[in-house]
Amino acid sequence: MFANWRKKSVEPAVSSDMLSKQRRYNSLVKALHADIFRYAFWLCGDKQVAEDITQETFLRAWRSLDSLQDDKAAKAWLITILRRENARRFERKQFDYADVEQESLEDHIASSTEEQTEQYWLRRQIAKLDIEYREPLLLQLIGGFSGDEIAQLLELNRNTVMTRLFRARNQLKELLEKTEVRGQSNG
Amino acid sequence: MDELKFRRQAYEDPHNQDPEFVAQMQESAENQAFVAELKRLDTKLINALKVDVPEDLADKLILRQQLQQHHKQRRQTGFLVAMAASIAFIVGISFSLLRLGPVDLAEHALAHVYHEGVALQVDQNVDFTQVNAQLASMNNLGNAKFTEQPGKVYYTSYCDFQGVKSLHLVLQAEKGKVTLFIVPIEKRMVLDNTFADGKYQGMGFEAGDAYILLVGEDKTDLSFVKDEIKNTFI
Repeated sequence: MFANWRKKSVEPAVSSDMLSKQRRYNSLVKALHADIFRYAFWLCGDKQVAEDITQETFLRAWRSLDSLQDDKAAKAWLITILRRENARRFERKQFDYADVEQESLEDHIASSTEEQTEQYWLRRQIAKLDIEYREPLLLQLIGGFSGDEIAQLLELNRNTVMTRLFRARNQLKELLEKTEVRGQSNG
Repeated sequence: MDELKFRRQAYEDPHNQDPEFVAQMQESAENQAFVAELKRLDTKLINALKVDVPEDLADKLILRQQLQQHHKQRRQTGFLVAMAASIAFIVGISFSLLRLGPVDLAEHALAHVYHEGVALQVDQNVDFTQVNAQLASMNNLGNAKFTEQPGKVYYTSYCDFQGVKSLHLVLQAEKGKVTLFIVPIEKRMVLDNTFADGKYQGMGFEAGDAYILLVGEDKTDLSFVKDEIKNTFI
């Protein structure tokens, strides 16, 4: 009885507000869930955990959606929530830091074209990168953020961020060149 | 920009659009090739980073949020119902407490006279035995009764004095009619000996186990009825 009464009297007043908030949330999910999930995956190295973190991130985002003033800033905002959520995961549970699990990557090399093999190899190298080097790279390549924006997100100064980006690419490039040389000599 | 800085910047971001960087890049074919190679690396990296996203993830995210919203609404509904219940409870309690508060008989008597204007117009010519019967049916009045006819009685009726059942009579006095209330004594009642407003004079006293209130237009009439009552009412 009370429920019916409430629906009649309260919903019309609130509905338009709720509806626009819901629409905003839906479009946020559609536009950004892939990037957020991928970022989470490369942060924690496990698909299931990445999905959980993504869920938590978006739930938190929903709760404080009103505080998001500028939709252009949505991605950075979500990533900030995500990073906090990821950190909380470590507070709750002492995970061993073994970064990206090998098993979760294994199933991606279904067939064996050269490109796929290389991509698989590259994924393992990215996963092996130290988190300090990996995270700025993720923000640059997945997030599309500038050096300044990355510095702000990670609360580092810009020079540190640029140095880390330099080292990340440098390491990956060297590794890539090494295998190419090895591959040639082997082949 | 020296070579080292250029290479460093290329590593930091091969898609750098800084004019100085772009100029340096276009200076030599070697530089262009260098940046192009890093761009190729970036393309590879970007592709490598694109791990498969669970197909239903977007739907799940929306579903989870809506479930949570639903729960929240139900919690809020529960809260509102609880709120309404407590307010109703408080209101109920305060009303019953208010009824227990002091009752100003004088004010009430005047209000009653104005309210029941018809009482001063009808002529039922009531016998005192009938009044006694009514008195007997009232609680807390002991054996109060009239011993003889207290002059002519025009009107008699039960009435309510803040929840206390009382008797409302209209009697003939020397000049006009006087309204008389017989109210069982209760602690919370406050009785003034005399009271008045623009039109009516009032008088209150105790007789037996009851408060007697008289309301009439003339003060001498009141005294007249008072004496009458004192003689006939025990």
